[in-house]
Amino acid sequence: MSLVISSSPEQKMSAISCHNIIKRYGETQVVHEFDLDVADNEFVVFLGPSGCGKSTILRMLAGLEDISGGDLHIGGRRVNDLPPQERGIAMVFQNYALYPHMTVRDNIAFGLKRLKVPKAEIDSRIKEVSDTLGLERYLQRKPTELSGGQQQRVAIARAMIKTPKVFLFDEPLSNLDAKLRNHMRIEIAKLHQTLKTTTVYVTHDQHEAMTLADRIVLLRDGRIEQVGSPKEIFERPRSAFVAGFIGTPPMNLVEMSVKDQGSHFELSCKAGVVHVNARQFALEGRERATLGIRPAHLQVDTSGGRDGGFFGEVQLIEYLGNEVLVSFSQNGGESSNEISALMPSAQAPRLHERVSFVADPQQVHLFDIDTGASLRIDKASLH
Amino acid sequence: MKKQSSLSAGTLLARLVLIVAGLSALVPVLWTFINSFKNRVDIVSAVPKFIFTPTLENYAYVLGREAVAQGLVNSILVVGAAVLIGAVLGLPAAYALARYPLRWADDIQFFVLSMRFLPPVAVAIPLMVIWLQLELYDTRFALIVTYTLLTLSTVIWLAIPAFKAVPKEVEEAGRVDGYGPYAIFFRVSLPIAARSLIGAIAFGFVLVWNEFLIALMLTTSDAKTLPIVASELSQLGRDVPWGILNASVILLSVPPLLMVGVLSGFLNAAFKRKREVA
Repeated sequence: MSLVISSSPEQKMSAISCHNIIKRYGETQVVHEFDLDVADNEFVVFLGPSGCGKSTILRMLAGLEDISGGDLHIGGRRVNDLPPQERGIAMVFQNYALYPHMTVRDNIAFGLKRLKVPKAEIDSRIKEVSDTLGLERYLQRKPTELSGGQQQRVAIARAMIKTPKVFLFDEPLSNLDAKLRNHMRIEIAKLHQTLKTTTVYVTHDQHEAMTLADRIVLLRDGRIEQVGSPKEIFERPRSAFVAGFIGTPPMNLVEMSVKDQGSHFELSCKAGVVHVNARQFALEGRERATLGIRPAHLQVDTSGGRDGGFFGEVQLIEYLGNEVLVSFSQNGGESSNEISALMPSAQAPRLHERVSFVADPQQVHLFDIDTGASLRIDKASLH
Repeated sequence: MKKQSSLSAGTLLARLVLIVAGLSALVPVLWTFINSFKNRVDIVSAVPKFIFTPTLENYAYVLGREAVAQGLVNSILVVGAAVLIGAVLGLPAAYALARYPLRWADDIQFFVLSMRFLPPVAVAIPLMVIWLQLELYDTRFALIVTYTLLTLSTVIWLAIPAFKAVPKEVEEAGRVDGYGPYAIFFRVSLPIAARSLIGAIAFGFVLVWNEFLIALMLTTSDAKTLPIVASELSQLGRDVPWGILNASVILLSVPPLLMVGVLSGFLNAAFKRKREVA
């Protein structure tokens, strides 16, 4: 990577700090007290279902949306009331938002022309970014003459050339087909390894979030549900919502009644029984709790049900290649009571066969039945 | 590919209707065109003549008349100015209405159009009084201002959807690239919407170029536009000068046709480029 693109010392100050940020549209509040610090060089992904406020927050960072309350600092400077161009950001939009009447070259250079960068420097910078992104051959074309992936690369080039303090990506890959999305995701990851520019990336695709992020900010209804590394979010979900949102196939969430057995708790429902360590979860005085177990953490029962487990009749078998996803339930109950387990394809049961699985007690999650908050008390760090 | 051997009765009927409609639209135009090259005797002959010695006498007469030259100058100045002002004021207005929604945006839009709801006479009479009072009656200025009302409303109404069709994200990209609202209007939105906007302006042009009634009521001699002059050619006497009339009709139709021709060529070029890609 060339010297022009790598950041100069003063640009290194590119941490983002959000304090109590609020967004209101009239009476409706869509973002509630958003608090987040993004470190210099960090790659943070905002993840959540549509309507969770992730794009709104990104647009507030960009200066495209007014901030209704709170403080936003970028690089140590309060930028609440600064227009986008004074915030040191560059943004890549979901539908690329290229200028259709300009050539690729002019698209990339448009921002620099505004900054009155000398022509010779613009040319050399265009050469660098187009080399990096493989766009040399397309510089004289119009955006409509490019494929989706090439257009997205132009959009990234347009953002890169400004050597911003912060990159903002708003669902940049969601308009691409699956194969290209994979490819571009890897390119973005590599680009971040080289440029190390602080990045905020919005997506609703957990796969993108897990693979790209240093930290994931999981949002729901305008509030932060959990902030953590992909591993933390996956292995220590702080709520039933996070547990259900992250992971494919999704985690099984089952309502269980709780019985205190002294050394352990016995959790039971129609479909099965699970024993959990009394010290691991705050279950005292509770009658019911939501149990979470990932399909991959259910093993075929070989002990005849002595250690508890889940059993039922197979309702659906989904072939995934090496594995099959088996959905089973008690006496052909509703699909909401179904439990899913992953097992090797070779051992796949038949439809309507009776099956039983044991849950790995180390992989069990428990949540408050009303609030969905995690009941885990051991704060053992993850390896 | 096998061709369908028999046409159904419905298709046949539909084609017949189309042919009749097409002919009824084209034949009079063609007849006017042919007659404009005939001398009087050939035109009024009882049996229509298709073979005759063409003459340019009619055109020479029309173009040789001072009133026609004057009318042409008036039309070009008045229509040109009205279209120019309509575009210069109307395009930013339309952009503002499309992009900066105000509480009054819909009312403004309705108000702008409301003049077009009324019959032209209802608009022309008050205007006539106003211009008489201001002692500007029968001036190009009065006609320019009046026609600007027409072009302005047309341009605004047709340009609003054109600007709304410009993706918001592209304008936002312009903001992130450091441009202010005016620069975004001129350097991003205007060029992107240009294709539809030229159509809107052309429509405004044709509308006032062909305008007759208001011009008739607001002019008597100095500011007469071509449609008025042409209509007067038919009042030269009881003996209707068909050849001259036909020639003036053809001459009057040329500018709008040119305008439409240039435009459609422009549009086709723009569309073609897009299609080649797709």
